[in-house]
Amino acid sequence: MKPPELTQSELEKIAPSRDERLFLVLSIFIGVLSGLLVVLFRVAIEWIKILTLGSAPHPGQYRLLIAPALAGLLVAALVQRFFPAARGSGVNQAKAALYIYNGYIPFRTVVGKFVTSAIAIGCGHSLGPEDPSLQIGAGVASAVARRLNLSKQRLRLFAPIGAAAGLAAAFNAPISAILFVIEEVIGRWSAAVLGSIVLSAISSVVVARWFWGPEPIFRIPPVNLHDPRELIAYTVLGVVGGFSALVFSKALGYLRPRLRLLPRWTYYCQPAIAGLLVGLIGFAGFPQVMGPGYEVIDQAMHSQFTWQLLFALGLLKILATTLSFSSGTPGGMFAPTLFIGAMLGASVGAFERHFFPHLTGSIGSYALVGMGVLFAGFLRAPLTSAFMVLEVSGNYSIVLPVILSNTIAYLLSRGLQPVPIFEVLTKQDGLHLPSMEEQREEAALTVEDALHPVEVPVFPGNTPLQVINEALSPCLIQLWDGSCYALKADELVSLSATLAPETPVERALPPDRVPVLFPDMPLESALPYFERWPLLPVMNRASKETIEGVVTLEDVMRQYQRR
Amino acid sequence: MRVFPLRSALSPEERQLRHRLILWDTLALSSLFAIAVVLFFITLALFHSFSVHRENLKLRWLARGELALDAGQPQVALNDLRSALAYDTDDKQIQIKLAQALAAAGHTQEAVAYFNTLLESLPGNGPIHLELARLAAKQGQQEVAIEHYQAALDGTWQGDGYVRRREVRLELAQYLISQQRDEQARTQLLIAAGNAPDDAGIEIAIAGMLESAHDAANALELYRKALRHRPVQLAAIAGAGRAAYELGRFQAAKQFLERAMNHAGFEKLPAEKQASYRNMLADADHILLLYPDANLPVRVRAMRVLGNRKIAQERLAGCLSTQPAVPRPLQDLASQWKQLPQAIQVAQLERDPQLEQTLMQLVYQTEIVTAQQCGAPTGNDALLLKIAQNPEAVEQE
Repeated sequence: MKPPELTQSELEKIAPSRDERLFLVLSIFIGVLSGLLVVLFRVAIEWIKILTLGSAPHPGQYRLLIAPALAGLLVAALVQRFFPAARGSGVNQAKAALYIYNGYIPFRTVVGKFVTSAIAIGCGHSLGPEDPSLQIGAGVASAVARRLNLSKQRLRLFAPIGAAAGLAAAFNAPISAILFVIEEVIGRWSAAVLGSIVLSAISSVVVARWFWGPEPIFRIPPVNLHDPRELIAYTVLGVVGGFSALVFSKALGYLRPRLRLLPRWTYYCQPAIAGLLVGLIGFAGFPQVMGPGYEVIDQAMHSQFTWQLLFALGLLKILATTLSFSSGTPGGMFAPTLFIGAMLGASVGAFERHFFPHLTGSIGSYALVGMGVLFAGFLRAPLTSAFMVLEVSGNYSIVLPVILSNTIAYLLSRGLQPVPIFEVLTKQDGLHLPSMEEQREEAALTVEDALHPVEVPVFPGNTPLQVINEALSPCLIQLWDGSCYALKADELVSLSATLAPETPVERALPPDRVPVLFPDMPLESALPYFERWPLLPVMNRASKETIEGVVTLEDVMRQYQRR
Repeated sequence: MRVFPLRSALSPEERQLRHRLILWDTLALSSLFAIAVVLFFITLALFHSFSVHRENLKLRWLARGELALDAGQPQVALNDLRSALAYDTDDKQIQIKLAQALAAAGHTQEAVAYFNTLLESLPGNGPIHLELARLAAKQGQQEVAIEHYQAALDGTWQGDGYVRRREVRLELAQYLISQQRDEQARTQLLIAAGNAPDDAGIEIAIAGMLESAHDAANALELYRKALRHRPVQLAAIAGAGRAAYELGRFQAAKQFLERAMNHAGFEKLPAEKQASYRNMLADADHILLLYPDANLPVRVRAMRVLGNRKIAQERLAGCLSTQPAVPRPLQDLASQWKQLPQAIQVAQLERDPQLEQTLMQLVYQTEIVTAQQCGAPTGNDALLLKIAQNPEAVEQE
């Protein structure tokens, strides 16, 4: 059966509420499908890992060198030949779908992302499955929504809805996924889309938990703040995390564009060389850095390594991920970021436990906070980072160290590297997507900025026309109910000509009134009214009769031009 | 005013389109549902197969790890158990084994940290406290070790908790003995003995430890308890002989040691042990020949007293001759001997039990003081010194 070919205006006419209803229903379907695909994706990664790297990779096994190198060759060929959009992490692709391609993500990209990322990650490339999951979710959403001939506006919003579903299933943490999509993809809270994002994220997490269980990806040890003086150590962790995020960003920002500038034929072997180098790190004694490394995060959280080894693993992971990601191998940066954060956090915790045993809480607490720190510093999603730690740990007693460390890392990273990593990558890819951080930081103009004192006469409503006429200028008439009327000079002339001089002005005024503006309202909210009113009074919120000042179109334009 | 909004005025074509649209949407949603169901079953099948495979891998690596741990290859066990844990991160058995492997491989710091983390998720877990106690003991942290041993005793144990607690208590006692905290060790051993089932093996083991904690009296009691079991174990007889000998109950020691030597298993003991028991028996025999037992005929006892007097006086004289300046205790001793008659006849002693007692007391005192001033005695002096430690015990059963 063919779908009815209808234009949007026809659809609006014959089924005005169809889009809205379908939007919510489809969100659930998208969540379920994304959840299932993400489960399959992770199963695929694990199977490939066991098949290629063995069930227990150990240093000195030659397969650690061979598997990632061969996978690199295969993945490069697939990406170059069949799935060019599968390259990279997936977050920017989801953003591009929202801002550039009207929500369109080809289903071929979903297939490509699934296959190539699973091979690369499963064979030991130092990348994670979360960002690809996000893109898979966004792709599924796009494919589903296109089938139902929804409006362009709605279609565009399906990408972030699917992205939230994919990420939520991969993380097993719906709140963090929702926040991340709002913080990094959409950029602002929007009632229209929030409900659908929540529905899809929850549906996908329900599906994922049906298979994986309700536990987080790693076992969370009991977390606590043992002694208030521990906050010093958490401050150190924030500083370490901030600098590590900087090193990681700089490394990616340096290597990736240089590799992309190399001749095109090298694109076929870059992932293989990166895989070989990553494999070399594993072969030489650190197989923990290969793949997403969830089990290593788990081990670090449960104090299985010395602080020296933890620190070394953190640094080597930065190197391995830089190599894998810069080479164009499909895969995400979330898991490596969490890995590096956990290693550095646990390292700080283990160091403190070694030298100040009476002050230290559990190493797991430091590892957990460390994950949030890198998330805040490197991915520059401060809100998500804090909620992620709280959601994954299920323990709010860790909130103080989390906020402290994350804030330090975020501020440090932002101060030393003004452009966030996702923006750096976007620019390297030649795209121009809105910067969410800039949007967040942007100070909006308010009415107060254009406000100037009342320089025109203000008359009560019962003032006779004759008295007002003597002023011979535009004026404000304040009526008994507190509302105002901005009387123009020509209106005054016309009223005086037709009515008796002693007529109270309120009887002569037309029924409309100037809109009520307050000083804290966005400046743009005044703009629609200047066609009708020459000046707008700005009222006091506490006392509606008190006029704080007035704004004119010139005042408003002057403020915008000053920017 | 309309209470219900009327349907918008749609043309017949529009109505038809609308119906087609509804049908199409229903079909699209149904097909989505069907896709979701099919995908669900595919995922379920693959996931099940994947889970089974993971479980097999877990068990395989766990078995390898346990084998390596038992074979004394902790480093190999460590790798194997880490691999096992990667397939089931929540398995507490693997986690505890892994921490044990860490400890066995010499990664004490990591092992302690790991056990502590495990303890946070399993508060009051007996086996974990026990491992932490062992690690603390290894690190020389006496108080921490004892604290963890105590926590292990009070902690939770699965299944054979009763037996495991006793084992922990015995281990704690052993540790206390090694740290020369005999009093605390004795307390633990007596609690263990009080709670132990009526089992000869356990009684013998506890009695042996009580001996190590210098509590021969309670050890003897337990050995005697063990001797009530049939067949009688050589360890119980020999242990009783040892404990009785230690307590100065030479009559009883002689009996136990003779029984031990007549036991079929005695010849299977290491030669050193056999010799030790033979020496003990010989000493006991000699002591009983020296000791003026109240049950002996008066004359024989008087002769023994006089013999002991001679031995003691010779010992004192020998000791005095080696001293350039005679110490005060020896001077006192010499003056006490001078206060007694120089020549005492057997008949005189037979008539004067008080003198007999005074002489023996001075003999014992002489042996004790000369041992302090001139070093350990040999021969009969050494045997008299043993009697001097607790003369009343010699005849005790």
